[in-house]
Amino acid sequence: MNASEQLSAHSSLALIESMINKAQNRYSENGTLYLIWGWLILVCAAIHYGLLAFTNIGPNAGYIWMLTIVALIYQAYYLSVKEKKETVKTYTDEMIGHVWMVFGICMGLASFILLKLGTWQLLYACILLFYGIPTFLTGAIMRFNPLKMGGIICWALAVASVFVPSKEIILLLIPAVIAAWIIPGYILRAKYKQSING
Amino acid sequence: MFKELDPILHSQLRLAVMSLLISVKEAEFTFIREKTNASAGNLSVQVQKLKDAGYIEVVKQFKDNYPQTTCKITPEGIQAFEEYVKALQQYLKV
Repeated sequence: MNASEQLSAHSSLALIESMINKAQNRYSENGTLYLIWGWLILVCAAIHYGLLAFTNIGPNAGYIWMLTIVALIYQAYYLSVKEKKETVKTYTDEMIGHVWMVFGICMGLASFILLKLGTWQLLYACILLFYGIPTFLTGAIMRFNPLKMGGIICWALAVASVFVPSKEIILLLIPAVIAAWIIPGYILRAKYKQSING
Repeated sequence: MFKELDPILHSQLRLAVMSLLISVKEAEFTFIREKTNASAGNLSVQVQKLKDAGYIEVVKQFKDNYPQTTCKITPEGIQAFEEYVKALQQYLKV
């Protein structure tokens, strides 16, 4: 690109448009964290239900969720490496980061409050409700419909959870994470690979 | 009466840099170079001109022992860019 090249009004506008598109069409999200969390929650929910339904472990089955701590540690490492590699910071990425941070804080606080004051069935209904919020908002910010759809499915499952008896409510987490994180995660991964290859 | 186009912005590479920076929070020199396909030398000169005009902020630091230059548009840069686009629209009667 030549700095001294003369511009007409038309070519100036075309250049502005093309540069703004280049900045915005950058696909920085490769879906890794969606896939890690999606598969982890799916496996934990399946094992938790399996332990409750087919063994005598009882409430100790809930310790399977300690696996999320491993995912949190990996996430912190992954994000620090990603930040070092990033050559650009966008307002979109920053906004999405804040959305998920708020979700993490609210999930932690809600889990603590509901385990003290409520029932664990209510906790699972709230988890489904909360899953939908950052998922839908991220979809709206990224203009990525699979995430928006995933968020809506989580809310529908939160409503459905009222009608699901006892421990089977845990199984609702499985379709929730498939719709909200696993499917969008694979689509994001495919789009990211496509954007790298050309 | 047509408004005069800002000569600092009315240059292909400087306008490209400003259009990129208006869309993001901040960008490294390498990102701008990749998107504009400019040579490092030419881009450095134009970035310096934008910095001298107060349109962008340039931070030079070291990241993992490598020099890193980060550019960010300033409020004056945003205003100048908006006025430039308005002037263009006036020319084109958009």
